[in-house]
Amino acid sequence: MTRYDLIVVGAGPSGLSAAAEAAANGLKVAVFDENARPGGQLFKQIHKFFGSKEHKAKLRGYDIGTELLKEAQEQGVEVYLNAVVAGLYADKEIVVRLGEKVAHFKGDTVIIATGASENMLTFEGWTLPGVMGAGAAQTMMNINRVKPGERVLMLGSGNVGLVVGFQLLQAGCELVALVDAAPRVGGYGVHAAKVARTGVPFYLSHTIVKAEGTDRVTGVTIGEVDSKWQVIPGSEKRFDVDTICIAVGLSSSTQLLKMAGCELAERAAGAGYLPVCSDVGETSISGLYAAGDVSGIEEASSAMLEGRIAGISAAGKLGFAAQEAVTARLATLTTALEALHEGMFAPKNRGKSVDKTEEGYDVSTNLLKKGYLADEEITKYPGVKSVSGIHPVIECTQNIPCNPCQDSCPKKCITVGGNIVTLPVFDEKAGCIGCGQCIAACSGQAIFLVNEDIGDGLAAVTIPSEFLPLPEKGERGAALDRAGNVIGTAEVTDVKSVKSFDHTNLVTFTVPKELGMRARFWRKGAAI
Amino acid sequence: MSANDRSREIGEFTAAPDDDMIVCRCEEVTKGEIRRAIHDGMFNAHEVRRFLRCGMGLCQGQTCARLVKAIVARELGVSQGELEDATGRAPARPIEMRIFASERGRDE
Amino acid sequence: MSNVSDVIVIGAGIIGNATAYFLTKKGLKVTVLEKSEYIGNGGSSRNGGGVRQSGRHPAELPLVMYGVKNYWPTLSEELGTDVEYYQEGNLRLGKTPEHIKTLEGLTNSAAAGGLDVRMIDYDEARAICPYLSDEVIGASWCPTDGHANPLLATLAYYRAARRNGARFISGAEVVEIKKVAGRARKVVTTDGVYEADAIVLTAGLESNRILESVGLRVPMNPALLECLVTEDSPPLFYQMLGTAMADFYGHQSKHGSFVFGGTTGFEPYTTLGKTPPATSSSAPGTCRGIIKYFPILKDLKIVRTWAGWMDDCMDHIPVIDAPEEVPGLVIGCGFSGHGFGISPTAAVILSQLAVGENTVLDISKFKYDRFKVRT
Repeated sequence: MTRYDLIVVGAGPSGLSAAAEAAANGLKVAVFDENARPGGQLFKQIHKFFGSKEHKAKLRGYDIGTELLKEAQEQGVEVYLNAVVAGLYADKEIVVRLGEKVAHFKGDTVIIATGASENMLTFEGWTLPGVMGAGAAQTMMNINRVKPGERVLMLGSGNVGLVVGFQLLQAGCELVALVDAAPRVGGYGVHAAKVARTGVPFYLSHTIVKAEGTDRVTGVTIGEVDSKWQVIPGSEKRFDVDTICIAVGLSSSTQLLKMAGCELAERAAGAGYLPVCSDVGETSISGLYAAGDVSGIEEASSAMLEGRIAGISAAGKLGFAAQEAVTARLATLTTALEALHEGMFAPKNRGKSVDKTEEGYDVSTNLLKKGYLADEEITKYPGVKSVSGIHPVIECTQNIPCNPCQDSCPKKCITVGGNIVTLPVFDEKAGCIGCGQCIAACSGQAIFLVNEDIGDGLAAVTIPSEFLPLPEKGERGAALDRAGNVIGTAEVTDVKSVKSFDHTNLVTFTVPKELGMRARFWRKGAAI
Repeated sequence: MSANDRSREIGEFTAAPDDDMIVCRCEEVTKGEIRRAIHDGMFNAHEVRRFLRCGMGLCQGQTCARLVKAIVARELGVSQGELEDATGRAPARPIEMRIFASERGRDE
Repeated sequence: MSNVSDVIVIGAGIIGNATAYFLTKKGLKVTVLEKSEYIGNGGSSRNGGGVRQSGRHPAELPLVMYGVKNYWPTLSEELGTDVEYYQEGNLRLGKTPEHIKTLEGLTNSAAAGGLDVRMIDYDEARAICPYLSDEVIGASWCPTDGHANPLLATLAYYRAARRNGARFISGAEVVEIKKVAGRARKVVTTDGVYEADAIVLTAGLESNRILESVGLRVPMNPALLECLVTEDSPPLFYQMLGTAMADFYGHQSKHGSFVFGGTTGFEPYTTLGKTPPATSSSAPGTCRGIIKYFPILKDLKIVRTWAGWMDDCMDHIPVIDAPEEVPGLVIGCGFSGHGFGISPTAAVILSQLAVGENTVLDISKFKYDRFKVRT
């Protein structure tokens, strides 16, 4: 039997972080993952992450994955891939399928970081080919480079539904509708806004009535729900689709913890049974930890911190790290984790409707119901000021833990402040030079550069673009407003692709002056 | 732990339009079968599973466990939190007998 | 609802459920108290499903033969639930002359008890089950043995008893039995006090904790039992299978999956906890055993393994008795890992003891006082 100081199950964000952290403290660490590639969900995440520098904000998920993997390897972590952990037994023994054999390993400590799996929803036709989890569609696109379908309906307006919806658009699919039974968009407003401005209609308080098709999905009917979640007769709408993506939440993959006999409990109504853990993720079994989504659904940035917290704790428990060092490190990591738990999307606010920002601004009901801010609402927020000359327009209207925009501006035009969830404030006196760094730094693609009057009755608008192919300079296309409606013709005057922008391209177009504060998307083709 | 009187009134079984809908894909168990089993006294997802095999197929309930629990909760008029989760059993993924039989380091 | 009934059954495993069923058929008011949240969550849902006469302890043989004759073939019909009973015989296999000797011993003893069981050679065994490995040199063959689905049989008895009016309360842990004027009458639980003219205790290993309150004790220990189940396969063979070495046993179920139990030798050395712990060495060992006898099964996938505790009695046969020391109390425990096959018969006897009827079979071998120190 091979023994390790620490066995980690799952080579995703939390598992790799746990392993790297522990190995850096001298533990002999092995990580087991059933997949052919390490990184868990990180390598599917082609979008830029939120948070601050310490959370690797504005880096894309796959780059964070690469960095993390490199760190783990440099620390001497052994990573076993295609290694299915079949069971977790007494005395922290695991049985692992490795190729055509099974092998037994024991750990003095074990960290379970097995993540989560997608929830499903039943409706007539839900078993037809073409109905799939949003995560599955994301794997098809971003790992296997396969388009899940041509015409897609997304059910679920949480961050997964919104992010994958956007990625479907990037992959060249048509997103016919974004649907959610809840009356409000569940995910970040900025994620919703970048989908809505491409013209995707949002149907809140709607659910799927049925999927049509014999051998595969050929259509879908949705309907509006009443306060008791029952479909209102006559409210049905039908779409031709070949794919239906379901993003109705995740369930922690707790099988191994259950096998080991850990105590599980429902911490909050509807959250499912989760391991009962200490502050550092230790379960009811001494030396057995849970980190990342398996201990409660959050996102990758939190998962990485939870992994490190469990990793350093294991190092302390086994006497590899001095107690003072462990305490200091835990303080740093916990502060970083707490920052991610701030704001209106904090775990403590789950299921609650937050109507005002911490600063006292009204949260836009349009944003929550339709996915975009109304034209007249936008100037109410501190990141938006209508001033002469080029200036950023920061359409960031919810308290989310994120601040790369603040660091990106060489002229210090943008301030988030010490509280990471505060809305960014634009200071018009600082003197914007139009460098565009803020646009590329904003993970929510919510910052634009606008010059409301460049003469000849025109305004210039610079938008972030992550759609290929990029337009040509001089190309005329349609200007779309935040709602995705065509509002005029826009001519591209500049396309900037700089390495430091990390694949976010800056497209500048001109529109009639009166559209400068309205046009937020550029689409190829005539303005019809 | 709470006492659960299996003779308590939960109302008559009434047919519903979506009773034909498959809930457990691996074992092809329908919503109607699950609801009927509940009215036959299977007052939790464990008993429903043992009675109908839903969640006992290749995926071991990874998809349907949550769905079955929701149906049980609704039929009994209790919250899902009052119903315990499905158990976790090895192997976490199906493994061929010949592979289980060959342990690394064992003389062949 | 009144907490007074004619009979209280403690423990909703298959024996308790079947006892409740037989009692309701007598028109009695029955309450069944179960500690777990689930009906049949102990050995009843964790065993290999054998309805086997061959290889039985001679004392138990009449019980199982009675059940195979009178209950099992019609059980699905009687209870209104398919319990997936197959009476396709039992092959107990041997690969060495020592194995054959062991099998001959078992066969002779069972035949002496009146069972149709005999030794057969490889060719005959192979004619019965064409998938046997050619390492097998002989077997014992009992054509009237079989198997059923223990999950379904347990819940079928529950369902039928409940339909007949038995009141089942799960999540009610029995704290003690109290005597009233010299007779066991009250059952104190975490969910209130229940009362009845007779109390039937069918609580497996838990029985001793409850018996303590009336000053009784059955000498039994926990022993682990481990099983596994495969994905479904097209129908291959429906005999019950075992080996001379008892290294594994099992069968193909109606669903197509194979259910096997296996032994490691560590079974008696288990620690009681909240859930029976499956061990890391059981499934690999069982798989090796199976493949040696049935190479055709080697590519079938194991989808689940589990463990259960057996209430292993000192002499490996149960207590089925109404002990004179405690009038009003009937005990059915210590089934030692082979209670499933004899459950209908054991239950009918327990129901008869509860109401003071003569029993269908002689129970002198299962009496509680067999453990008294002889002077």
